[in-house]
Amino acid sequence: MGTEMSGASRLLGRVQRGRADGFPWSAPHWPGAVERAAPDRKLGVDYDTQWSRRYPARLVRAMLLDNVSRPLAHLVAAPAVVGAEMLELVETPVIFVANHASHVDTGLLLSILPRRFRHRAVVAAAADHFFDRRWKAHLWALGLGAIPIERHKVNRRSADTAAALLDEGWNLIIFPEGGRSPDGWFQEFRGGAAYLARRTGRPVVPVHIDGTRQILAKDGGPLRRHRTRISFGTPLTAAEGEDARRFGVRIETTIATMADEGRSDWWTARRRAAAGTTPSPRGPDAAAWRRAWALGPGPGDDPEADEGRWAVSRH
Amino acid sequence: MSPRPGFVLEVDRSTPPTLFWHGEGFRLEKLPTGSRVLYAPEPLDPLEDPVGSIRRALLQPMGDAEPLPELLRPGMKLTIAFDDVSLPLPPMRSPDARQLVIEQVLDLAAEAGVDDVVLICALALHRRLTEAEMRHCVGDRIYDAFAPQGLLQQHDAEDADNLIHLGLTDHGEDVEINKRAATSDLLVYVNINLVAMDGGHKSVATGLASYRSLRHHHNARTMQQSRSFMDQHRSELHTSNWRMGRLIAESGVKVFQIETTLNTDTFPPQMRFLERREWEWSGRDRAGFLATSTALKRTPDRLARQILHSVRSPYRMTSVQAGEVEAVHAQTTENVYRQQLVAVEGQTDILTLGLPYICPYNVNSIMNPILVACLGLGYFFNMYKGRPLVREGGVVIMSHPTPWAFHPGHHPSYIDFFEQVLSETTDPAEVGKYEEAYATDPWYVHLYRTGNAYHGVHPFYMWYWCAHALEHLGAVIIVGGDRAAVRRLGFTPASTMADALEMATDVVGRDPSLTHLHSPPLIMADVS
Amino acid sequence: MKGLLVERSVPRFAAARLVSSITGSGTSAGVGPLRLTDVEAPALPGPGWYRVRPLLAGICGSDLATLDGRSSRYFEDIVSFPFVPGHEVVGVVEEAYAAPDSSDAPRALHGPALAPGTRVVVEPVLGCIARGIDPPCASCAEGRVGGCQRIAFGHIAPGLQIGFCADTGGGWSQAGLVAHGVQLHPVPEALSDDDAVMIEPTACAVHAALAAGVEPGDTVAVLGGGTVGLTTTAALRQLATPGTLLVGAKYGHQRELAGELGADLAVSPEQLTRAVRRRSRSLTSSGHLSGGADIVVDCVGSAESISQSLAMVRPRGRVVLVGMPGKTSLDLASLWHREVSLVGAYAYGCERSGAADRRTFDIAMEVVAAAQLGRLVSARYPLERFEEAVSHAGAAGRRGATKIVFEMHPRSPKGPAS
Repeated sequence: MGTEMSGASRLLGRVQRGRADGFPWSAPHWPGAVERAAPDRKLGVDYDTQWSRRYPARLVRAMLLDNVSRPLAHLVAAPAVVGAEMLELVETPVIFVANHASHVDTGLLLSILPRRFRHRAVVAAAADHFFDRRWKAHLWALGLGAIPIERHKVNRRSADTAAALLDEGWNLIIFPEGGRSPDGWFQEFRGGAAYLARRTGRPVVPVHIDGTRQILAKDGGPLRRHRTRISFGTPLTAAEGEDARRFGVRIETTIATMADEGRSDWWTARRRAAAGTTPSPRGPDAAAWRRAWALGPGPGDDPEADEGRWAVSRH
Repeated sequence: MSPRPGFVLEVDRSTPPTLFWHGEGFRLEKLPTGSRVLYAPEPLDPLEDPVGSIRRALLQPMGDAEPLPELLRPGMKLTIAFDDVSLPLPPMRSPDARQLVIEQVLDLAAEAGVDDVVLICALALHRRLTEAEMRHCVGDRIYDAFAPQGLLQQHDAEDADNLIHLGLTDHGEDVEINKRAATSDLLVYVNINLVAMDGGHKSVATGLASYRSLRHHHNARTMQQSRSFMDQHRSELHTSNWRMGRLIAESGVKVFQIETTLNTDTFPPQMRFLERREWEWSGRDRAGFLATSTALKRTPDRLARQILHSVRSPYRMTSVQAGEVEAVHAQTTENVYRQQLVAVEGQTDILTLGLPYICPYNVNSIMNPILVACLGLGYFFNMYKGRPLVREGGVVIMSHPTPWAFHPGHHPSYIDFFEQVLSETTDPAEVGKYEEAYATDPWYVHLYRTGNAYHGVHPFYMWYWCAHALEHLGAVIIVGGDRAAVRRLGFTPASTMADALEMATDVVGRDPSLTHLHSPPLIMADVS
Repeated sequence: MKGLLVERSVPRFAAARLVSSITGSGTSAGVGPLRLTDVEAPALPGPGWYRVRPLLAGICGSDLATLDGRSSRYFEDIVSFPFVPGHEVVGVVEEAYAAPDSSDAPRALHGPALAPGTRVVVEPVLGCIARGIDPPCASCAEGRVGGCQRIAFGHIAPGLQIGFCADTGGGWSQAGLVAHGVQLHPVPEALSDDDAVMIEPTACAVHAALAAGVEPGDTVAVLGGGTVGLTTTAALRQLATPGTLLVGAKYGHQRELAGELGADLAVSPEQLTRAVRRRSRSLTSSGHLSGGADIVVDCVGSAESISQSLAMVRPRGRVVLVGMPGKTSLDLASLWHREVSLVGAYAYGCERSGAADRRTFDIAMEVVAAAQLGRLVSARYPLERFEEAVSHAGAAGRRGATKIVFEMHPRSPKGPAS
């Protein structure tokens, strides 16, 4: 015991000595006596992600995406993709607008996008959550191509950045709820996506993601395998004279219809949408347990179907 | 740069060898100097916003039709019929034109509150589609919404309970079609007009008909009088269908026809050498050709077939027309001609054809010898307007391996037709004496209704399709085919193109003129 | 005198079996049990027997099976070694048994007396009368020697036929053979030697065609286009009134001959099931037709051919096995479920014809004459070239031939005289 302790302290001592002796190989210490101005930490909305769209970073991201994320996504999430053929008809860039229930949404969505979208996409990420530390900012910018967006108020700078990227031909992924759903139901959609679409004239591709909450929900718990269903809707463009607010509502209704489609079928959902009887994706205004109850099972959880949640792990 | 129109090349000594399709492979043949080669027009620019164009077509229909939303009302009975997978060829990349159109029609139906909707694949006597093929046609969304309820149906020409006899035309032709379609308040027909033969009244009068009705125009006599059946104004096949179509309209069946046309962007980028003129082949095209042809040569037939049948064509829609059948079809035909027509001066003594691995009746299947004959002498020979490309008494030389092989699930009656009927006679008028026995054979009927088999009578139709060519031509030669199979067809086998030309001169005389149809992509010759 | 002899040699049979299984039937003559040697003329066993000098002797499928070492073990006790093969024989009577004691006069049982020089065909089955068994067994008493129940007994060595018996000699020898008077049939002048050598195989076909029990208008399918198939086709056409006669034959010349001999449609065997299905307008399930042919005559005798026959016969129909089968593995579920009769047809004897019985050989002679079956003889070989002859017979279909025969005296002019 004694020798171990002395070994550890010797090691510690050497580390301290090393740090002191490292200069000029390492950065010099700022002498405590000298006053120092606060460092210019460009984080949050101000973080500059330009580097992450240069070739080396894109290459790293593409390799990670194709060789790690995609296999992982199929292993963990077994995504059933609906309507991806409609993407054939649109010119890039586009704005993907999706509901948000889990941290896996971004990786999963990127993984299943066709190549021409996947390798040229940026993700709008909450500046206050993903860009609050330097290492996190680097990580998300590199790994997902994230760009910082102010989620609680309209920020001219982040809107300008996003619009500029769209003009440069980058596809943009936005989760307009401004954060993950706490209980599986939709939250209010914010206007950013509709605003950007109107400003740049690019189409919005509505996306509905279902089942990721069962993999990793907001309130934590370990990662579990679960089937997911990702559906793409017909691309939407703002009609002439349609303002951002109304266009935003149209996007939200479309995704709500797609959510309904996931629980019923396309024809039923279309008819309910036409009749204005699409069930609200925001859930009943009631106690938490009733909201959870009303949510029902996720995709692949149908107790009547013989391929249940375990079908994935059986293979 | 706007797409270039079709082109007629005159072969000289510096012309590179010409590409021939040869089943699941290719041949490069040096054609004699002075030969002509017909190249297809380049693909037209597609519709920029196909969904928007469809929507507009439905809202502003042609002829005296009302806009579709005004024809839809709650409580009505709506049937949407659509073409089967016999077109386009190769199958187009998703989304299929049918899916795009039907989704828009259903959207309008949903807005109007229509509940009773049935979708019917108008396959006449073709084989039933597999689930995968059906999903490809209409898309997963429609399939999953309709198929489980039994609302996505395939026309069954042998289901007596679901056929209705609407009467006789003034020529005494029975008109018997699908009952659900005929008794609906509105029948919407969604077509893909790949070639000029498709569409018009033929959609409903043929696609949804029974054998009893089809036999009036699917026979040797009609086909001999259809010159060609691709030219609806000179086609007895179409005249008969138009009579039936008008009777259907008079019987009170309200048809809202939606027709689409495609460009000729037939092959994916890695096979684009197939669409280019040989002297314009870039390094990439040559590498593509060498890699593809060498690989296919070394691949077992079965696998090569699977690979080629998985090719999805990047076809795009060039137009969509909706409304009253005849008004719609006139415009559609114009649009098909705009893409496919190539003006050719004068006929030729010898017509050469390179036949590919696919024809309308062997999607995901084997191209059997009867289909080889039908593709060459039925389809390619008839791709003309005015006069046939080849003169009367001339020779057609086709290149295809013509294996003695059949898909037992898809073409059961073809096997018997080949073994029995063709061993006795190859005269289209003569084979007719067996037609009744094949059409009513209970086993074929069973396979057609419950399996994925073509109707028992279908091989006869294939042979009738050749009737005009067989009557017109002096000889038919197949290069590189299975000799026994070629002889059974009544044609002459040749091992090389040089041998074939030698044989042809015996029929048409020395110093013949030769024309090669460099197709696919599809070409329709306008012969003056 | 030269003759071909088969000896009991286990290693040689084993070698023949091995070689023929690899290189094909008839190719194992070099290692097999057959050899060319000097053979003694067999002794005349008793009264009523004649010595016959063969002119032509055919190579039969059963001979090939023996030489290939693939005969059924069933035959072990009803053959006796060493034997001279050859049971399809046309020959000339040389001498009759001379009784040392004149009191032992020939009786009617021994058949008509035959003068030396008479051209005869041999009916090779060694029944009770030939074997000197008195009284004869029930089958022989009726004249149906094919069904003789004493085939391995009596005063001569076991052997179901001349050509499988150590005491009688066989056709493949210049030394000749001995046969009982009841086994000899004088050949009419009108028939050539080629015609005559076809009488024995045709007799088998006649027996099979009559055993099939064809009702007028029946659909009959014949599977096989070798000698058996073709003679059976001819016999069915001549002696019965099938509504449709379909033949499945592997090779082009066989199909052509089948057509000439009376088939309505001759196709390759794998097409035959479809042809039957078309004709009977049946459905199919798991490879079997729901209906099918009324009668299927299997002239091949392999597991595949029997399975195919069972697949294309109608329920309660009849499958007649004419080709010689061996040890076979079959799925008989359909036979049980569809109550199919699977019957054998071996050899000959006499046939019910109207009210009276007629000897099969007499009928066969008429069929041979009417259908000119001599044309089925494709090649003649001298005994010295037996290896070639046997391999030609083994590959007859592939080489465009039907019946291969040995010719004992190649130099002598064709015909009965010598």
